[in-house]
Amino acid sequence: MASTLGSAQLLSILLFLILQFVSGFIINEDKYKRQVFLELNPGLNSSITPPPGVSLLHVRAVGANDTLHYFFCSLGAPALLLVHTNSSSSSVKVDWLRFLSGNASSLQVEPKSSVQYSNALIFTRLWEYEDANDTADPQHLPPSSFFPPYELQDFTWGDLSETMNATSKTAKLCGGDSGPSFSNGSFCLQISAFGSGGRDHDWPRLLHNANSSQIKVWLDGVTARSNKSRFSLELQTVGRSDLPSRVDVLRSIDDEYTPSIFQVVQWVASPVNSTSPVLGYTQWKPVAYRTASPNGYQTSGLNVTFGISGDPFYSATNYLSWTLLVGLGSPPADSFSPMVMGIIAVGLGTPLLLILVGGICVCVRKREAKPLAYEPIN
Amino acid sequence: MAEREERQNLLDEYESLPRPRDDNGSSRPMSAICDPSRLPHRIVVLIFMCFLGFGSYFCYDNPAALQTQVLQDMNLNTSKFMQLYAWYSWPNVILCFLGGFLLDRVFGIRLGTVIFSLFVCAGQVIFAMGALFNAFWLMEVGRFVFGIGGESLAVAQNTYAVNWFKGKELNLVFGLQLSMARLGSTVNMNIMGWVYSRVQSMLVSTGHTTLGASLMIASATCIFSLICALVLGFLDKRAEKILNKEQGKTGEVIKLTDVKDFSLSLWLIFIICVAYYVAIFPFIGLGQVFFIEKFNFSPAEARAVNSIVYIISAPASPVLGFLVDKTGKNIIWVLCAVCSTLAAHMMLAFTFWNPWIAMSLLGVSYSLLACALWPMVAFVVPEHQLGTAYGFMQSIQNLGLALIAMAAGAILDSRGYLFLEVFFSACICLALIAVVMLYFVDFLRGGELNLSASARAKLQKSSASDSE
Repeated sequence: MASTLGSAQLLSILLFLILQFVSGFIINEDKYKRQVFLELNPGLNSSITPPPGVSLLHVRAVGANDTLHYFFCSLGAPALLLVHTNSSSSSVKVDWLRFLSGNASSLQVEPKSSVQYSNALIFTRLWEYEDANDTADPQHLPPSSFFPPYELQDFTWGDLSETMNATSKTAKLCGGDSGPSFSNGSFCLQISAFGSGGRDHDWPRLLHNANSSQIKVWLDGVTARSNKSRFSLELQTVGRSDLPSRVDVLRSIDDEYTPSIFQVVQWVASPVNSTSPVLGYTQWKPVAYRTASPNGYQTSGLNVTFGISGDPFYSATNYLSWTLLVGLGSPPADSFSPMVMGIIAVGLGTPLLLILVGGICVCVRKREAKPLAYEPIN
Repeated sequence: MAEREERQNLLDEYESLPRPRDDNGSSRPMSAICDPSRLPHRIVVLIFMCFLGFGSYFCYDNPAALQTQVLQDMNLNTSKFMQLYAWYSWPNVILCFLGGFLLDRVFGIRLGTVIFSLFVCAGQVIFAMGALFNAFWLMEVGRFVFGIGGESLAVAQNTYAVNWFKGKELNLVFGLQLSMARLGSTVNMNIMGWVYSRVQSMLVSTGHTTLGASLMIASATCIFSLICALVLGFLDKRAEKILNKEQGKTGEVIKLTDVKDFSLSLWLIFIICVAYYVAIFPFIGLGQVFFIEKFNFSPAEARAVNSIVYIISAPASPVLGFLVDKTGKNIIWVLCAVCSTLAAHMMLAFTFWNPWIAMSLLGVSYSLLACALWPMVAFVVPEHQLGTAYGFMQSIQNLGLALIAMAAGAILDSRGYLFLEVFFSACICLALIAVVMLYFVDFLRGGELNLSASARAKLQKSSASDSE
């Protein structure tokens, strides 16, 4: 028995290694890499000084034969613009005088013909409402429950040049209005650009790839205007008119990376012809965290509402964070981690092997024992 | 908590207690309901006996029934929440050896029962106070004290049953007590949420005060059980006087040195027991939020589906017990139970199928395992070591439950439900490995674990005729 056990263990270890190897291939298929460059205020010369708090971050993610341009801008409402070109040498031209006066066409990607897809995500308003009955359903609340929204375009923003980090490829934008609510708090957005696939260390640990970038939004230390305040964020997207956008809510059995969240929300832009692939997306999980580590969720259309009925209100922790992924092509989908597949394989494989090996052993023994089993004649 | 009733069969079949009954002592005529030697009186006693354990079964799963509320009001993460279950199990790692001894030698059955009931009451009250004062450590202390009383009280309950019903309706009595225990668990699962919301609307406040008040209300069931213990003590004393009988004894003899004589088969049975139960009870403890999060159930629905295991177990246990008794082949039955439990866990992990299916399957297989696994111990251990073997089995089971409860909470917090379910499946796989090995070990050694009932009867007959 001891020897069969030993071989069974050996076999199961072998099985595990093979599985690890195979699953490594399956899971890490997204090996596409890009080189990422960060640049602040491209093409700005010393003759023009932008007003304080206005800056433009340009992220260039260069692939083998295409380029992704991200523009993260604090002029007006914070926005992320994504432009995909089919050339690895496309560049950006900004007419700063017109740009600072708010003219949208002042920002050009050249050559113009190389542009394949573009899409902008704009954070327009932050709503606050008093959820007196704890329903967390702002759509069915009387208008009197809503406080005047914070218009993000009127916020005073910090300087991106101080928060830009070229090694981690992140930049942080924090701001607030002049009212008392933001005297000790701020509304922050952090953009992370990626040159390859992976996950963040912090929840919700969204799977990203080289074709995506991530924005984390958080609301820290803001004084709520009521004890039962909840917040809701208004998002707008601007894209080609022939690319209608829709919101898909997908269910997934895999909550390994975002514990107890079994849904993914995808706001995708795809041509009317439904068979053609998705061109671009904004993806998030319906979860917002009340502390710098976890709980609670809900989304409604393009107003993202934070908190569910029964959850503590904002004033419990004075913190709220939410993360979303913006990218090109089809949204990445979670798959089982090698560890899960390994445990299942070993767990099921070992008993089966044992039955096999044990069965053979028993058969052999029976056969050996057979001569003795003959009954003496007479 | 539910693993104790299986010992009852053992007490029934393998213990020969002296039962001195001297009926000629009753000189004056009594009405049937007052005469300890008549059935109507025993039925009265039975009612008290059944409700003796009701409180502890009701309160054991209070945390599971109020999982969302406990997590929120006490501001806990799941691993801290699971400490409540771990603290229940810790004292029983040792007390499983001591319970019988304390009842037989130190307190006697009557005083012992009252003392253990007091522990249960005190534990639950401390638990509720912890919530009232928003002190989680006090809640843990409460669960510890509650654990000291809980398991031992079950032993006392069994002893009473044997004492009053041995040679009469004992199996039926055990069945009824078991059903009562399941009823306690089920009622708790389905009523505590309602109690909480009523208290909430009365106090017009959420938070730990509401939780404390709800748990305080739950402790009424323990007080009720304590009253039953007192009444039982009185009735037993009275019967002793009238019938001139002795106080009941568990008859358990525990000798730790016996452990070295345990066979490989017995150790395999221990592994099955631990690996199987740790994938059931901690899961039920965490089930409510799982059904809410993954399957979008309402809290009431989630509590209902979580309690289906207990609901099914109440009627299924006697039926399946009968089936296993009639057919024998215990290992095959255990194998079936383990496989179907594995299937149920995999279903919960990897599909969005309605959890009623998986949980019902879990309920049936859990009952089947209990019926087939626990009697096997008697086949591989000489009779004089049975007490030690069962004590040891329950002890390591509690150890496993305590450790896995903590591990499960930590896994859930860091890696989510899928990984937790995979972890439970892995535990069941370990049990499966042990069952397969047990089958071969028994086969090679020519053991009688997997004989059919008729073959067993033949074997018994031949060994009886040999000894004649």
